[in-house]
Amino acid sequence: MGGLQGRSCPGFGSVQAGSATKCFVRSAPVVVPLSPCPYSQSTLRVGHFVSERSEGSLRKIFRSFACAVLRLRMTQKPPPFFAENGEGRWGEATTGFEPVIRVLQTLALPLGHVAWNAWILAYNGCLVKESPPQESPPLSPQLPRSGLESIHPAIMHILTNPTQNKIIALLLRFLAAILTIAAITLVLQAFQPEWTNQVIVLIYLLPVMLSTVLWGLVPGILAAFLAFLAFNYYYLEPYNTFQVHATQDLILLIIFLIVAVVLAQLIGQARQGERLARSREWEATRMYELISALAPLQDIPAVAQALADRTREAFDCTQVEVATLEKKGDPSITARAPESDSVNLAPTTHIQIDTARENEGELRLWLAEGNLSTEEQRLLAAFASQGALSIERIRLARSEKRSRLLEESDKLKSSLLNSVSHELRTPLAAIKASVSSLRSQTVDWNAPERSELLATIEEETDHLNLLVGNLLDMSRIESGALKPHRTWNALSEIVWGVAGKMRTQLQDHRLEINLPGDLPLVPTDYVMIEQVFINLLSNSIKYAAPGTRIEISTGTDLDFMHVRLANQSPPVPEDHLELIFEKFHRITAADRVTGTGLGLSICKGMIEAHGGKIWAANEPGRFVFHFTLPLTLDGALPNSPREVDNG
Amino acid sequence: MDKDPTILLIDDEPQILRALKTILAANHFKVVLATTGEQGIAMAVAQPPDLIILDLTLPDMDGIAVAEAVREWSRVPIIVLSVRDNEKDKVAALDKGADDYLTKPFGIEELLARVRVALRHSEQAIGNKQSIIKAGPVTVDLARHVATMRGEEIRLTATEFKLLAYLAAHADRVLTHQAILTQVWGFEDFDHVEYLRVYIGQLRKKLEQNPDDPHLILTEPGVGYRFMAGE
Repeated sequence: MGGLQGRSCPGFGSVQAGSATKCFVRSAPVVVPLSPCPYSQSTLRVGHFVSERSEGSLRKIFRSFACAVLRLRMTQKPPPFFAENGEGRWGEATTGFEPVIRVLQTLALPLGHVAWNAWILAYNGCLVKESPPQESPPLSPQLPRSGLESIHPAIMHILTNPTQNKIIALLLRFLAAILTIAAITLVLQAFQPEWTNQVIVLIYLLPVMLSTVLWGLVPGILAAFLAFLAFNYYYLEPYNTFQVHATQDLILLIIFLIVAVVLAQLIGQARQGERLARSREWEATRMYELISALAPLQDIPAVAQALADRTREAFDCTQVEVATLEKKGDPSITARAPESDSVNLAPTTHIQIDTARENEGELRLWLAEGNLSTEEQRLLAAFASQGALSIERIRLARSEKRSRLLEESDKLKSSLLNSVSHELRTPLAAIKASVSSLRSQTVDWNAPERSELLATIEEETDHLNLLVGNLLDMSRIESGALKPHRTWNALSEIVWGVAGKMRTQLQDHRLEINLPGDLPLVPTDYVMIEQVFINLLSNSIKYAAPGTRIEISTGTDLDFMHVRLANQSPPVPEDHLELIFEKFHRITAADRVTGTGLGLSICKGMIEAHGGKIWAANEPGRFVFHFTLPLTLDGALPNSPREVDNG
Repeated sequence: MDKDPTILLIDDEPQILRALKTILAANHFKVVLATTGEQGIAMAVAQPPDLIILDLTLPDMDGIAVAEAVREWSRVPIIVLSVRDNEKDKVAALDKGADDYLTKPFGIEELLARVRVALRHSEQAIGNKQSIIKAGPVTVDLARHVATMRGEEIRLTATEFKLLAYLAAHADRVLTHQAILTQVWGFEDFDHVEYLRVYIGQLRKKLEQNPDDPHLILTEPGVGYRFMAGE
């Protein structure tokens, strides 16, 4: 048997956990058998009934039953055993009948007599019989032992044969109906009231009604016939025979029988209707719970798991499995409740999870016993189709998202084409113009003019090279093919290298490089980080006025190197600070500043490929790019260098 | 030089061939063209050139494989042409026997400088190993274990000395990280670049006027280092 403490109980604790905990008395823990005995509901109802008429501790204990009955009305299906172990913790005893035995023992304390408990259970279809003492399960130490001595020394054992239990319960009901009629007859015979037959007839209707209400249609009809016979025997002339002489009496008797049977039937039907309504309500509640559990879920594994969990709660089963098929990039998933690795036996029943278009998987159930009723099968089908709907919803949402992304990427592509064709043609136009001028026979260029034209060609070629590089980098980032080849590098080497390369472009600005001498090595792809600095510097040159200062500084903390590149460009509106790292984003009008609008988004892609972050901030008097780079490579720091062996 | 050196140009792009042939011829080189790797190897065998310029992307075979094939029987200097972001291929080509590399697009001055350095080194390689290496302002006396900078002795640790000696002996040529690590430390794997960073940093502090903006030991991004003797 499972532990009595541990995880919170799904069926019992979830909806009314608060009130349930309150109802259970800490000083007198009670184990409530809510399963597997099919009639435990009625047991609890009897307990509730008694609690209404009892005082003190007895009343307290039965309050808990009242609470349990309330729970049952909500779920109808009894959850497994639950117990409070005296410390306010809830636990679940998964298998076996040992907790029922504990109930009997605990019940014995207030009720005083084991026979009484046995009667209650037997009445409700659980036959109790003695079993040898050695089968006594070890009692959990948390359960109080007080009062155990007062019960019958034999340990109770409940027969697990439901058919037998049902027959015995039915017989007991018939017996009860007979006894009611007998009792009323006895009372009437004992007091011999001077009432007319019409009143007596009405009095006999009472036990018929009572039997139907309490024990069902068949005992009610039995009671009607018995009342008919008793009335005939004792109150119609000739007395103490079953004969009837007067026509008037015969009519009375027949009308009584008709009224009694019709009454019994009506009450019985009403009860059945109520039961039906309640089971409908239960189904509706389960459906509602399932739908509200599935509604917020956004991925198929979660849906499968929720479906499995809810199915397990709704049906009396030991294991539920939801298996979805592999489809459109989704792997096949098997969700189980309770979670376990695998199930050996074949499932008791299974149902396909079908959407309007295709099959999505299967819902499999391992029932605790027997088979599903028609209503349960209907509910299971509804569960499966709800699951299918959820899966379909997720797929549709995903394809919607995909098409939106495609649309966005289409827009980006046309924006790229516009930008690129403009950006590429400008240097080409300059090159073409210069070259054709130089080749022209009509003009005689002097030396400075020639050198000016040639310089234009060379500069514009470099510019074209940069543009093509940017485009390639961007497409590599987009396709996920950008894999940094990280090795240990000195940041100062990269920064100074870039400063040297960009000397010409930087001639109008003052570049200050403030790097501490003891800067640790950082694992980077040299070429990529070089590109990041080139792009950030190009951006600074573009936006900061000539003559202003550009400063590069660094700091390190435990895991990251933090690089700052500050320039004196005008501040960027706060809501654009993140957007500037998006493709083609420009704050100013496109014609004022040249470039593809890719530089910063390339930086972002490269820094993120390194496992770092990049952002920008307005600071008093300056605009700062920040980025971080992890200081470890595969979780390791650089080896400390070793001297070679002398020789 | 008695006659113009022969350069074998292996590249499949006609524009490049046309431009380079014109430029190299104008600079007094004899140019032989090959448009595939196989043709290139065949021509190198039939008519051994003084230098090979090899594009890494060829239609029929990998440029690295061409370099490897030529290296099996010839010490002829090989300069590879490659595009940016292809550091891996450059390093592979250098480790497989190429002497230097150029990233497209390149300036013609750069190409000519590399060609001259490569030709000079192949001449030096014919002579025996010298015990005194001179590279720009630096002199390394292997026998006496002394390094001087413009006549002044530089105090170096054993590792620094070995590193400087190796760099200076291959002045003006690119040296891959792996080559340096293998030659100086004896490492066969690529896991110790951090050693190199630290010792290069130390050497620069002792040799360079501004160690942050070096002029002697230059970094070749993603590939290695180059000791500039200044031709």
